[in-house]
Amino acid sequence: MMLMPPFTLHHPTSVDAACELAAQLMGAGEAFDWVAGGTDLLPNYKWHINPKPHVISLAKIGGTSTISGSEMGCMVRLADITEENGAHPVVVQAASKVASSLVRTNATLGGNLCLDTRCFWYNQGEDWRRSIDWCHKADCGTGADCRVIPNQNTLCVATYQGDIAPTLMVLGASVHLIGPNGARTLPIESFYQLDGMKKNVLEEGEFLLKVTLPEDAATRTGSYQKLRVRDSWDFPEAGVAASWVAGDPSSLRIATTALESIPRTHPEQVEEVLKPGWEGVDSVKALSTAVQKSVKPVNNTALPPRYRRSMVRVLTKRAVQGLLE
Amino acid sequence: MSGGYRQQPGGAGKTTRKDGKRVAGKQAFPPPGSGGSKPKMAPRDLDYIPEMVGGKEAQPAGAHIHDRARTGTTVGKPTALVDSNAKVTGQAWYGDDVRLSNEVIGKILRSPHHYAKIKSIDTSKVEALPGVLAVATGADSPHQFGVLPVTKDEHAMAVEKVRHVGDLVACVAAVDEATAMAALNLFEVEYEVLEPVFDPKKGLEDTDEPIHWRGKYHLARTNVQKRVFQEFGDRSLVEKPLASSHGKWNMAGVHHGFTEPHAVVAHWDPNGRLQLYTPQQVPHYTHRALATVLDVPMHQINVIRTFVGGGFGGKSDPFPHEMCAAILSRKSGRPVRITFDREEVYWINRGRHPSHIEVKMTADEEARISGFDIDALIDGGGFASFGHVTSYYNGVLATAPYELGSFHYTGARVWTNKPASGAMRGHGAVNTRCAVEVGLDEMSEQLKVDPIDLRLANLLPPHSRTISGFRITSNGMREALEKVREGSDWDNKFRQMPLGKGIGIGCGFFISGSGLPIHWDPNRFPHATVHIQVDMDGGVTVHTGAADIGQGSTTAVAQVVAEVLALPLEMIHVRSHESDTSPVDLGSYSSRVTFMNANAAIRAALEIREQLLKAAWEVLGYHPNNLVLNDRRIYYKHDPAIGISYLKALHKAQEDKGALIASGAYRSPPMGGVHKGAAAGLAPAYSFSAYVAEVDVDVETGLIKCTNVWAAHDCGKALNPLAVKGQIIGSCHMGLGQVLSEKMVYGRTGHLQNPNLLEYKIPSVHEMPHVEPIIIESCDPEGPFGAKEAGEGPLLPILPAVVNAVYDAIGIRLRDLPLTPDVVFKGIEKGMKAAGVDDPLDLESPRVEHGDLQPILVKRAAEHKTRDRSRQRSEDTSPYVNGVLFGFDPNLPLEDQVEGWRMATEPDPEQLAALGLAGKAWLKKEQRHMGGDE
Repeated sequence: MMLMPPFTLHHPTSVDAACELAAQLMGAGEAFDWVAGGTDLLPNYKWHINPKPHVISLAKIGGTSTISGSEMGCMVRLADITEENGAHPVVVQAASKVASSLVRTNATLGGNLCLDTRCFWYNQGEDWRRSIDWCHKADCGTGADCRVIPNQNTLCVATYQGDIAPTLMVLGASVHLIGPNGARTLPIESFYQLDGMKKNVLEEGEFLLKVTLPEDAATRTGSYQKLRVRDSWDFPEAGVAASWVAGDPSSLRIATTALESIPRTHPEQVEEVLKPGWEGVDSVKALSTAVQKSVKPVNNTALPPRYRRSMVRVLTKRAVQGLLE
Repeated sequence: MSGGYRQQPGGAGKTTRKDGKRVAGKQAFPPPGSGGSKPKMAPRDLDYIPEMVGGKEAQPAGAHIHDRARTGTTVGKPTALVDSNAKVTGQAWYGDDVRLSNEVIGKILRSPHHYAKIKSIDTSKVEALPGVLAVATGADSPHQFGVLPVTKDEHAMAVEKVRHVGDLVACVAAVDEATAMAALNLFEVEYEVLEPVFDPKKGLEDTDEPIHWRGKYHLARTNVQKRVFQEFGDRSLVEKPLASSHGKWNMAGVHHGFTEPHAVVAHWDPNGRLQLYTPQQVPHYTHRALATVLDVPMHQINVIRTFVGGGFGGKSDPFPHEMCAAILSRKSGRPVRITFDREEVYWINRGRHPSHIEVKMTADEEARISGFDIDALIDGGGFASFGHVTSYYNGVLATAPYELGSFHYTGARVWTNKPASGAMRGHGAVNTRCAVEVGLDEMSEQLKVDPIDLRLANLLPPHSRTISGFRITSNGMREALEKVREGSDWDNKFRQMPLGKGIGIGCGFFISGSGLPIHWDPNRFPHATVHIQVDMDGGVTVHTGAADIGQGSTTAVAQVVAEVLALPLEMIHVRSHESDTSPVDLGSYSSRVTFMNANAAIRAALEIREQLLKAAWEVLGYHPNNLVLNDRRIYYKHDPAIGISYLKALHKAQEDKGALIASGAYRSPPMGGVHKGAAAGLAPAYSFSAYVAEVDVDVETGLIKCTNVWAAHDCGKALNPLAVKGQIIGSCHMGLGQVLSEKMVYGRTGHLQNPNLLEYKIPSVHEMPHVEPIIIESCDPEGPFGAKEAGEGPLLPILPAVVNAVYDAIGIRLRDLPLTPDVVFKGIEKGMKAAGVDDPLDLESPRVEHGDLQPILVKRAAEHKTRDRSRQRSEDTSPYVNGVLFGFDPNLPLEDQVEGWRMATEPDPEQLAALGLAGKAWLKKEQRHMGGDE
């Protein structure tokens, strides 16, 4: 049996109350996690991966479930995005490919964006992790080395395997964060931070409140391509999102996920290829190769990194296929 | 109870007043003949009574000895499983549903090392923890056990060394789970870490510290647990082949992936008897092992099989955690429950062996299969489990359904420091079958013939003998091939579809019950026994030890009893959970239950039927030969008005003696050869199957989608077509997992990287193709009503069918299973290089043009079809042995047919150098032959 470690669950009903609670716990030196749908955090807790004594649920905070073409709250369930609720079609595409319908009923947008990074040396039960003498990401106080790239314990290379972030990136979305020290808004590209443990710029006590899309996002069309072994349950082994304003290749944006510790956009590669102008199939080919070359997956997911990297080319090609029509 | 409630035969007198209301205190005993939900007798269902005995059920494969026992009640009708209500309403009690008052929780301390000596275990801190009630270590259970008597190499907990990460070291019982888990952290174990072995090839080499030590029988200082050599036939036939195939396969280990994790509750009752609740496929073996380990006579143990949430071979070993629960319960005096999490399920494993398989095969100028040459090195992990048998099955189960000129097999199973492999659906036959069927596909291409025709022209007929001496009885292989060819529109698709679309064929052959009861001499004790008891109420209680693991064995037993006695299914109550009440049964493995248990049940039911008919004779005055048994009534066959109800006949039969009791047993007939290992693969009947699979391959990503499967399986006679179709579809799903996505991944450090159901990729509903199950009924002469197995055999053909279909789609032979997209992509990259193209979309898919041999094969197949039909219907009862196709005289012993005929179970010295990978085990000597001390 997998026994959930005990924790105190808090249910603030407003953003202010949540921030206040966070501040209180921080003041008391008590560690805590935020929980939204719980489909990421709670399985990890059952595996005794970094459980905390307190968990603050966002579920009862009003106004966090709005969906529109321009704004989505953190508590929006993925299943709601996939229904006709006005979310951007590219986001809908990505959301409908997340895990299984059962998981999507619970899982939230905020949770998906803040998804813990994954690694097969890390997402394991306690006995298993003891047998490898722990790892850098969950070292249980041992200062253990990274098991993916041995002999170093400074960088965690666990992989970010969220599906929705890259689509929001290519649509130019912004994330709104809030915490005891106030609110801030930043473009979603700057939200992620290259380290499998730190993952993103959220400070202690801060949480992601909502995502907004710029007005021009509505004029954009695009695609999200996901590589996975099974059409259900599986996290992406690689994912490529692209968006553009119809008929305007120069507006192209590409982002990738599940290849590194963070999802990211590829403006340099796009710019480089488009510099001489749009050349149809040749540009697609050049773009696919350029994006492929710019990513460096490591061996910590189900499929080997060499293959995942090769597939970035195919996925990119398929993601921008619409530009040729 | 004077004047009040009466319940006795013959009706309850007046229980209703004239106005129709019930008389106070009186309760109606159901009228005679009642039972079941319908008050009136149903008319005879002639559609389900064989034509040979006057019904309308067609019998293309001939009559059957049980035809006279058919009543048209349930056999052959799609029937929902009798325990399905309990399951769909959530009332079935699985291992972890057992709750005894005062129970405590047991947890197991597991090895963090692959391989290590245990120098010391200090339990003092554990014992001091409040809430801890008992602690046990290997010292508490020195006795060894194992599922096979020849290889008892397991302990309840490690005694001297741990053999894989997750091996059991100690256990603790505490008042609750949290305390038990906290206690695990307080054990102080000192290990001396040893050099582990992960690669089975390394297991063939001598080492300082073999994982187990078998004394004088140990093979040098290697980790070889079992080696096999078998050679039959005329080896000179393979020297100048017209076509040949040589494939080296690398097949990953797979796990059963059953839904229910292992769970056990042990309780020593107030009389000091052990009551053990466990979801087991083979409760009897657990029973035996418990007696050994606990030093308690078997009659002081009651093994209670709970509902089993899936087994597939993964719950067919006596398990160390069952011993742990019993030991902890004895020590603590409280019931102890242990439930595994998924990681522990993978550590106890017993899944399909990771295998290196090499198959060479040849065909001669007449497209006859002149030789199979198989080498299988299988990775057994830390313990023997069923491995002794697996080592044989990898070879011997490839000796049919084809007629072979010669057969050569070398196999070896090695211990490695990984979780133990064992038996899994299609035990031992699956991997080699895949390799063999793909080889045939390759040869058909060289021969320029259709692969289905190649098979049809080389099949063993019904009632024949294989090259190794197995006795084939009924055989529906030909019909299966014909049905899938027709259903799939094969002739218009094969080698004719565009790049990325493919179609492939694969066949299967599997035992229907292992001919050898592992623990005793089949000539002295039966394989299966069933008791039936019918009391005054008319309900029939059937006692059997057959373990229903979801396959529907309880339903099958209920069905055959209902059929013989012509009673509605709801009047049959099968009791199979407790060893106290059920006759000894070997359990659910080797696809034996329907064949053996239902046969035993039919015998017992026939005895009851005889008593009922005799009673009816006394009442009616008509001899039983002139009586008809139909739905709760026995009547004169020429005038149904003259008859009595079942209940009246029963009460007549019960006069002077009370409840009717009968016992039936099944024993397999003497069969098989006398060479070493001749019993492995021997079965009273064999199942046959042929599948055609259609796939879409994404040539850019290597992702395979299986879209359609036509699945024909010869189960002899479908007692319950619903269950058979379920087994076929389920087998397809499981086999597809192995061929497309499932694998136990051992990383560079030897750790099992994916012990969970997210990363161990069982196909989801999206990956499931449309499966068209086709039931072939060859009517086995010895099967119950003609039935054979349908639980394991249907898994075999799906693997080669898919692999062959992938070749048809992209023209690339892949021999690494599973065909995950990266493996396929690698193959595609190679194919592109070979073809000199840059874009996979420019690859060409293979095409075929039939050569001169094709019409010859078609003609031969047509002749054989006539031959097979008359043999199947017993119109032709002449003997047939493998080799007749090569000109043998079936009346002579094989070894007298040609010069140079070999039957060997050990290699000749001059053969040694040429043996394959597993064959290298024959370069080593057993300790007893090495001179010096043991």
